[in-house]
Amino acid sequence: MTCRAREAVLPMSKRRSTRMRFVRRLLIVLVAVCLLLVMHAGSGYGQTEQPATHSAGDHAKAPDDSNGLINVQQSDLLQRQVTDNWVSYNGDYSGARYSSLTQITPANVGRLAAQWVFHPRVVAPLEVTPVVVAGIMFVTSANDAYALDAKTGKVLWHYVRAISQGLVGDPAQHHNRGVAILGTRVYMETDNAHLLCLDARSGHLIWEVPYATGNQNYGATSAPLVVKNKVVVGISGGDRGVRGFLAAFDAETGEEKWRFWTIPGPGEKGNESWPGDSYLHGGGTTWMPGTYDPDLNTLYWGTGNPAPDYDGAVRPGDDLYTSCLLALDPDTGTLKWYFQFSPHDLYDYDAVQTPVIVNTRFKGEPSKLIVTANRNGFLYILDRTNGKFLFAKPFMNTQNWAKGLDEKGRPIPAGLTPDENGVRVCPANGGATNWYSPSYDSAIHMFYFRSLEVCAVIQTKPKSFAAGGTYYSTGTQSVEEIGKGYINAFDLDTLDFAWRDLQIGRNKVWSGVMSTATGLVAYGDDAHNFVILDGHTGKPLWHFNVGQLIHASPMSYAISGKQYFAIAAGSDVFSFALP
Amino acid sequence: MWPRRIETLLVFGAMFLFGCALLDVHAQRSDAGHGVQRFMEYCAGCHGADARGGDKAPALVSASNTTNLSDSELFRIVHDGTKGGMPPFAQIGDANIRAVVQFLRSLEDSAASKSASGEATVTGDVDAGRTLYFGKAQCSTCHLMQGKGGFIARNLTAYGRDRTGDEILHAITAPDTPLVPSSQVVTVTTKTGQNLTGVLRNEDNFTLALQTEDGRYHLLARSDVRDVRYTEHSLMPQDYSTRLSQKELNDIVSFLIVASRSPRPDKGEGR
Repeated sequence: MTCRAREAVLPMSKRRSTRMRFVRRLLIVLVAVCLLLVMHAGSGYGQTEQPATHSAGDHAKAPDDSNGLINVQQSDLLQRQVTDNWVSYNGDYSGARYSSLTQITPANVGRLAAQWVFHPRVVAPLEVTPVVVAGIMFVTSANDAYALDAKTGKVLWHYVRAISQGLVGDPAQHHNRGVAILGTRVYMETDNAHLLCLDARSGHLIWEVPYATGNQNYGATSAPLVVKNKVVVGISGGDRGVRGFLAAFDAETGEEKWRFWTIPGPGEKGNESWPGDSYLHGGGTTWMPGTYDPDLNTLYWGTGNPAPDYDGAVRPGDDLYTSCLLALDPDTGTLKWYFQFSPHDLYDYDAVQTPVIVNTRFKGEPSKLIVTANRNGFLYILDRTNGKFLFAKPFMNTQNWAKGLDEKGRPIPAGLTPDENGVRVCPANGGATNWYSPSYDSAIHMFYFRSLEVCAVIQTKPKSFAAGGTYYSTGTQSVEEIGKGYINAFDLDTLDFAWRDLQIGRNKVWSGVMSTATGLVAYGDDAHNFVILDGHTGKPLWHFNVGQLIHASPMSYAISGKQYFAIAAGSDVFSFALP
Repeated sequence: MWPRRIETLLVFGAMFLFGCALLDVHAQRSDAGHGVQRFMEYCAGCHGADARGGDKAPALVSASNTTNLSDSELFRIVHDGTKGGMPPFAQIGDANIRAVVQFLRSLEDSAASKSASGEATVTGDVDAGRTLYFGKAQCSTCHLMQGKGGFIARNLTAYGRDRTGDEILHAITAPDTPLVPSSQVVTVTTKTGQNLTGVLRNEDNFTLALQTEDGRYHLLARSDVRDVRYTEHSLMPQDYSTRLSQKELNDIVSFLIVASRSPRPDKGEGR
């Protein structure tokens, strides 16, 4: 009817004179001019007056429905179920990166939608996993830390300091993986290895400690780990000839409480691998957060490659404690046991991949396990009470550096020693997996991780340590342009893969995985997609193109009953939820 | 049909030209006051309301990377942005950019006259100032100083750097001139009748982030808010000029200046 009426009117208007039309339009111009003037006068040029209220539609369920009060207790850090809050890099001490939130399910995940994007001041691809407490999200980029409204991505505070000059390697790219939190304080590492303590409510600096001195090649990229009243930090620089360590600082005062050197000094066990002062440049860095078992009061932390990376002649023997898992007393830093995945490593096989704490039956017996997929191409199951090797599964079809493992889990070398001509080694120096996170779904006993099938030719040429330079003792050549990447589901009940999802693309992505109590597995793929798949089958259920390569691992949180997934991608942090 | 198109073009053309004329009139204003306004509008969000550095960008007062540049170089930076992350501001118009440059120059002049007389003069009793700061004057209740104190107000650890005693005294006795936007106290009434008074940490067309003095963030959607009252004040007490004697004020000023000289590896600040 409306259309008909309009059709009826039009012929009438046509009959109006052109003069009337001109007068009408003149009036419109005058009114428009007046409006412009009024609007302009009212704006008080240059003032940005805020409207008292705004009716524009944000659809939060209720006002002030997030807690908003940051005060993290030990009980929060000891949480056995990760729900609304994600209190540390991996979400909890186990390293499982497993959320017990259940709002998003395989049935409704197809409706997942982007909620907001946060673009920090940044100089490098973000590697941060956000920490969320009481509806406040903490993210870091380079030497910056931000507190955001986790519902909207809006900035509440921003701590900033200039990036450091004169760094080498990864820290020179100013990567940072996030904060640790306790009470009303957040802790972060700077690119030049200072531990910062900030007031979580304001972002103001309370104290800072430069914790690596004596070698300019030190740097830091990790997130600290709070254990009891201490903040534990690792160090980067393993390809640049630093001496690795793990150090713990009093969370209140910043006072150093202990330091464990991963390269033994003169007179210490294992020093025979480090003639002269080579222990000062032996690597074994600790550049990813470890895990912690409060029942056993044990801290588990992986160490990086020995230095120089490819020239083993200058470091005879096993090169303790490089490429190891360390079990330490968190109160004293005393070593309880260690397990070395790659003794006398010649291929840059850091062992810093998250050592996941798993309690399940192993071959029928209730067991306290560590499960970890190693850069060297083997998935390991260890008894975490004593470090005893229980099981390994090779997950790279083309692996050629080891003939296998002996009954104690020690690799049987295939004799591939890099020389000036180079040897072809699989996995490549970048590893069959890397620092991107694994995840363990405790409900179905499934261990998820990303893997990569790619080889490299590794050459060596003797070189001396030099401050300000790398200490690889030559380098590598890629032999395959395109590697084969997989998202893997390893079943701890059957001790075999439930599925392996071959990834399409060049496999340059650096995204970890996470899982949820509804059987979802989230990760970033090679085509810039944030993907969620069915953990039981590996079938993709949903994806979203974030438009940039993902160098980080996802997490999940909730505010007032609404579940979100968040992931840092390229230069931005994205958050997703159901509509 | 053809004459009506011409007419329509004329109508919109006239509107466009008039709009441009309005903009141009304002673009011609480039007095110092105009520069302050433009600075507050476009620059203060990152460089701080006092141009001494903010949460996203460095200080511009007496910074060598500003003072060593010619007007045209500064103009070019504002116009085109920097590789370091500063966005271009060409869209605000050449006259506005010139006004901002002029304002920066006026800041340098005051900073230069300050540095000509050496470090800010300290005439008070620094120890007495420290005692007052952490005691009777209750500064530390809200302000952090070298890791000690409150969180709701600005970190004063480095505050005394690059400031004269008179400037600090002014900030204590005549607070909120200018008012830092993220320090403003607002009172919000929600549609459910809840009344909240706190510091406005962030707001936009859709959201409002309020921090109450217990540290709690109240993260509100505007659609859930009935009313917002902007107090045009921070939490800073307005009566220090009468609560404290001239000597006490001078002692606190002296303490702030001397405390800021103690070696700190970095001036990074939150918020």
